Order: sequence, then C-alpha cells, then structure tokens
Amino acid sequence: MRNSRTLLGVVSFAMILVAWEAAVRMGWLNPFFTSRPSLIFAALVTEAKSGELFHNLHVSLGEFAVGFGASVLAGLFLGVLAGWNRIVEYALDPFIWFLYSAPLIAFYPIFVIWFGLGTYTVIAISFLLAFPPVMVNTIAGIKSVNPAMLLAARSFCARPRDVLWKVALPASVPMIVAGLRLGLGRALTGVIIGELFASSAGLGYSIAYNGQLLKTTDMFVSLMVIAILGVAGTQSLSLLEAHLDFWRAGPGL
Amino acid sequence: MVNTMRSRGFVSTVAILVFLAAWEIAPRLHLVEGFYTSQPSHVLTASWEILRTPSFVKDVSVSLEEFVLGLALAVVVGVPIGLLLGTFQTLRYLVDPPIMALYATPQLALIPIYVLWLGIGMSSKVAVVFVVAVIPVIVNSIAGVRQVDPSLVLVARSFCARQHDVFRKVILPASLPSVMIGIRLGMSRGILGVVVAEMYVSQDGVGNQILKLGSAFRVDHLLFYVLLVSAFGFAATSLVRKFEEHFEGGR
Repeated sequence: MRNSRTLLGVVSFAMILVAWEAAVRMGWLNPFFTSRPSLIFAALVTEAKSGELFHNLHVSLGEFAVGFGASVLAGLFLGVLAGWNRIVEYALDPFIWFLYSAPLIAFYPIFVIWFGLGTYTVIAISFLLAFPPVMVNTIAGIKSVNPAMLLAARSFCARPRDVLWKVALPASVPMIVAGLRLGLGRALTGVIIGELFASSAGLGYSIAYNGQLLKTTDMFVSLMVIAILGVAGTQSLSLLEAHLDFWRAGPGL
Repeated sequence: MVNTMRSRGFVSTVAILVFLAAWEIAPRLHLVEGFYTSQPSHVLTASWEILRTPSFVKDVSVSLEEFVLGLALAVVVGVPIGLLLGTFQTLRYLVDPPIMALYATPQLALIPIYVLWLGIGMSSKVAVVFVVAVIPVIVNSIAGVRQVDPSLVLVARSFCARQHDVFRKVILPASLPSVMIGIRLGMSRGILGVVVAEMYVSQDGVGNQILKLGSAFRVDHLLFYVLLVSAFGFAATSLVRKFEEHFEGGR
C-alpha cells in the first residue's frame, strides 16, 4: 500500500519529465520558452561546478534561516503571551491582521534605505511575512488546550511555568506546527520576492536576472532548487511534528 | 459573550488609537524620521488626493479584473479537479506528489516565467493569480471529499443511491466547507500575487502605483495603497468566512 503510493509518486514525476522532454524534441513546445529537462540538468551541473549555484543557495538559505528563525521565536513568544492574556491578544489583534493581509513587499524601497540592498532587507521581508501565521496559530493552540488538563495540572500545584511547558505547549503542538508550516512557506516566499526586487544575490535574484536575459534554462535551474528547498522544508516539519507529538494517544483529545 | 465582545472591541480600538497617536507625534518630536514613516494626517491628505485623480479608478479596476478573472478560473478548474482526485485514490496517488511539490514551492518565483510566456499585460497577472490560488483550492477540495463521513456514503448506498446521487447529494454538500476554506486561502494568496506581479512588471494597476510611489519615496501615498489592498483582503476573506459559517450551519 505504502510502496505502491511511493511508486506512483515517482512514476508521476518521471512522466512529467519525459513528456516535457519529448514535447520539446518533437517540436510541440518551443525550447526558448520552456527549455527541457536534459538542458536544465546540464545547466545545473555547470552552475554547480562554477560555484554559482552554491553561492546563490548559500545566500538564500542564510536569509531564510534567519528570517524564519526570528519569526518562529517572535511568533511563539507573542503567541504564548497573547494566548495566556486576553488583553494582550485584543491589543495585538488589529496589527496582526494588518500584517497578515498587507502586501508587505510594497515597503521594500524603505527597507532598502534602512537596511541596504540585499541580505538584511530580504530577511526583514521574510520575517514580516512569516511571523503572523506562527503567532496566530500559537494563540489558537494555547486557547484550545483542554481546560480539564490545565485544571488537573493546577490541582497538583503545578507552577504557571510548568503548566506552560508541560501542558499548554505540548498540547498545542499540532496547531503550532500547522502555523510553522504556513510560516515556512511564507518565509520562503518572502526570501524569493525580496530577492526578486531588492537583492543582487540569491536564487530569487538569479531568476529575475536570467529572466531579463531571457535565459529560460538558467531560470528553471533556480526554480527547481527552490522547489526542492520548499519540499524538503515541509517534509522536515512533518518529521518534527511526529517527533514532538508522540505522546498523543489518538485523535479527539 | 456580549461583554467579552465589547471589551475586545474596546481594547483593540484603544490599541489602534495609541498606535496612531504615537505615529503622529513621534515624527513631530523628531524621534523618528518622518520622511520614511510618514504620519496618519499625511496619509489622510494623500488618500484624498489619490481618490480625486482619475487614474485611481483605472488602476483599481485593472487590478480587480486580473484578480477576479484569475480567482474565478482557479475555482472553476480547481474544485472539479480536487473533487475528482478526492474520489479516485489511484489518480490521487499519481497526481498528489507534483501538486504537493507545487504547494511547497513559492509560486511567486514563477512570475518571470509567466512574463516570458504571456508578456507584460493582463494575461500574465491572471496566470499568476490562477496558479497561486488553484493549488490551495485543489488541496482543500481533496481534503473535503476525504473528510466525508464514510457512514453517510454507506447509508446512501444502502438506500440504493446511484454513484451520481451519492456524489451530488452526499459528498458534494459535505465537502463544501473545506472547499470554501481553499477558496479563502487562494484569495489571500491571489491578492498578494496580483500586487507582486504588477510590481514586477506592468503598465498600470495598484502594484504598478505601489512600485512607482515606493521608488519616489512618497510614503504617505504608498501607505494609502497598502492599506487599501489590506482592507480589500480583509473584507474579501471575511465575506468568504461568512459563507463558510452559513454552510457549516446547513449541516
């Protein structure tokens, strides 16, 4: 059952690649617009050998790690605070919804003035995009903890700190991880669009740069690498969730 | 309940007022550089100026048209695909991995590709909105079908309902709330998509104005457009939420 599922997944990627390659070779698609997998792979090898790929990857991953890391810390901290205290929640609420729905990339010229072109601006955009979902889900997680569990912990004289670390946070893991998953996607989006507009290095910059030179194959190399990063990030969060949420006996708690 | 609602509104309003007051006063006391932060009073004047320019209506209608077309396409294409994939397991296993890979990839990275394919006009923006919105629509439609209580289907079958009727009268209504969530997620992604795509390259639209005003450091005018997009996003998602509650109530 599980094997057939993996097999079908591999088959489906293989089919897409073969169809793409064949369509271009048969002349149904213009390689100028779509490139083809074998060319992209060759360009990937060339970029890897010249060090260009690793330079771009290094820049983007660094920005992503700092932006997402900061948004997780800030989101968890403010989320716990607001989940614990209603006044804080109500006071932060309008600002969070603004951050959630505003096209924050609009502020990039101002960020460039403050932080300079490149890394710090991209980090700021990535942070601002990623932190609202982490915070909103943490609040929801903390607030949805079964009150009976809190009461039980308090009855056994648990201190507030223990209630938080040993009951409230572990019980909110699925909600928090769902927030992290949304945040991760938005942090990556923030890095890419930040680099598209306000950077001179990184995978997003390389897409914009090669796009202006109409070098389709090189654009696809960076796109593929970004896709792999996205999938790897999402998968590792699922592993993290399984690891942190081991104590839950089954659904319905 | 009424009491907590009132205190919620009260606390939020106070927080906003405090923020606005600090924002107005800080540049006047030279605590922050007003050139970059602007001030609420300047944003108000800027709003009035923008609302009176004739190109405002044109920019808004261009962006709105791109957004609505892209979203409508995403719903029309995404919902049937999602319902189909949710119903047939083998098909789902085959198509799921590429869809999940697309979901995990920042779709906005593809903007330069669409510009290459479709040019700098309206169609490349419609394509961006379509692609960013269609994936959450598909994923949540799949989830909707799969969440349907199997005993409901079993009961319907036991009463000799045909496959067609089971789908139309049981599976479809039961998966609607999840489909609506997909549309709501697609909407908020689509709004960001329109703005970013217009900022990347375009000749008109709200994103184009944002890019021009940002490069010229007209922060007061820029903030009007940002707040406009924000308010539109908030209003649109709240509307869909209302629909969601309506459908939930129907169950």
